[in-house]
Amino acid sequence: MTARGVLKTLSPLFACIGLLCVWQVASLRLDTESFPTALEAIKAIPSILGDKGSLLNILDSIRRMAIGLVLAVMFSIPLGLLMGRIKAVASFFNPLMMIIYPVPKAALMPIIMLWMGVGDVSKILVIFLGVSLPIIYHAFQGSKAVEEKMLWSGAAMGMSAPMRMLRIVLPAALPEILTGCRTGLVLALITMITSEMIARQSGAGNILFNSLDMAQYDTVFAMILIIGAMGIVFDAAFEKLRLSLVRWSQPRDDMPLSFT
Amino acid sequence: MNQERINSVLLGITPIVLFIALWQSLISFGFAPTSLLPPPGAVFGKLAKDFFNGDFLHDIAATLIRLFAGFGIAVVVGVFIGLAAAVSPAVNAVVKPLVRVLAPIPKIALYPALLLILGFDHASKITLVTADALFPILLSTYYGASMVEQKLIWSAMAAGTPRWQILFKVVLPAAMPSILTGCRIGLVISCIVVFLAEMITSTDGLGHMLVQAARTFQTVDMFVPLIMISMLGLILNSLLHWLRSYLLRGFPEV
Repeated sequence: MTARGVLKTLSPLFACIGLLCVWQVASLRLDTESFPTALEAIKAIPSILGDKGSLLNILDSIRRMAIGLVLAVMFSIPLGLLMGRIKAVASFFNPLMMIIYPVPKAALMPIIMLWMGVGDVSKILVIFLGVSLPIIYHAFQGSKAVEEKMLWSGAAMGMSAPMRMLRIVLPAALPEILTGCRTGLVLALITMITSEMIARQSGAGNILFNSLDMAQYDTVFAMILIIGAMGIVFDAAFEKLRLSLVRWSQPRDDMPLSFT
Repeated sequence: MNQERINSVLLGITPIVLFIALWQSLISFGFAPTSLLPPPGAVFGKLAKDFFNGDFLHDIAATLIRLFAGFGIAVVVGVFIGLAAAVSPAVNAVVKPLVRVLAPIPKIALYPALLLILGFDHASKITLVTADALFPILLSTYYGASMVEQKLIWSAMAAGTPRWQILFKVVLPAAMPSILTGCRIGLVISCIVVFLAEMITSTDGLGHMLVQAARTFQTVDMFVPLIMISMLGLILNSLLHWLRSYLLRGFPEV
């Protein structure tokens, strides 16, 4: 790897360090009780991760997020693909999606809690709802853009309609679908935290907002760091997966376009 | 309107009608008690009545002010940084790693920090909306501006346009479709985030209304702000759509 390449891979790391430095300087300048320095916040991280209760809480959050995400992917991709290929399905679901889109899914949490309690089910349901829409949308766009000629040649070779869907439309739409999944991943994290903030029973969001209420400011900032790191790590891991799945597609720039 | 268009609109209304019918039938057949699921008639009736209620209008106004302030700042800052990053490699070298780090962070987790630094007033909510809406706008501006056809710039230079004018007369208009797509994503996010921020800590706004209703188990009042935010999103979206078709009237396809 050339020196330039090394610099390029390390540049996000430099950005992290730079941001932490800005934070450190800002908090030293402001010098208030409620705004600890970056070093204090980093020092508080081991005590959170070392504590068995809070570590289990965080892992629990990740488990719920993973279940919600997987369910949403399994539901949304087939629906999106169908919407892209069959016009009636698209005009059936499009207006409904337009209405649901601007509703914050985590805001449904109080209502869903009334029906299903504060347990796992309602939290997973909220994550599922939050993640589904962008994946459906991107799968829809992806399968709409599949070249008609490929489908014709598939049909000419005697492929049945479901087979064409699986063997032609799905791979052709895969790059777009994965963009949607990446958006969904970030959204899942957001929804997970907000749902736990509202239900206040367990999980990472609960630790964050409870420590805010109890004025444990270094825990607040340490939790922000942990959640931020989770976002960055998940995103980077997914990007690796995406690149290995769609190696054949044109190389795209390494910044995702949509963070719906 | 031709026949095909009418059919597709009818088909689109069907699931919404079905949804409301299902909602009503759950109550009519006694599957759900009205204390948990109020009938749709009651919810829409309350919504219509609330429009003549000063407090409700005040809540909507508070939400809209935060929404527009945050979104407006995000558009200005996002377009500016996006253009700068696309035009100058030096800016790009700084902005790109920062965006890669900051974009995947769930911004809502920053809200406690913003509360502690900026206080409980408008400022913290507006900053949160800006932080969330900024990245889609920034990224789509960057993509739009870096995809501008080089020939356009060359011909502008050949015609003697000064360099900084090329930015506003060629690059910005050419990147406009992409910028507006980013704005649309940013707008939806703003709607969502402003509501969530108000749910966490607020004394007014639609999100506060929902939390207040949830605490007092006024189920009808819980549905009203949700329907309101959905309607606001739809109205703002169609305004943006109209703005888009006005701004892009010279473009071959929108």
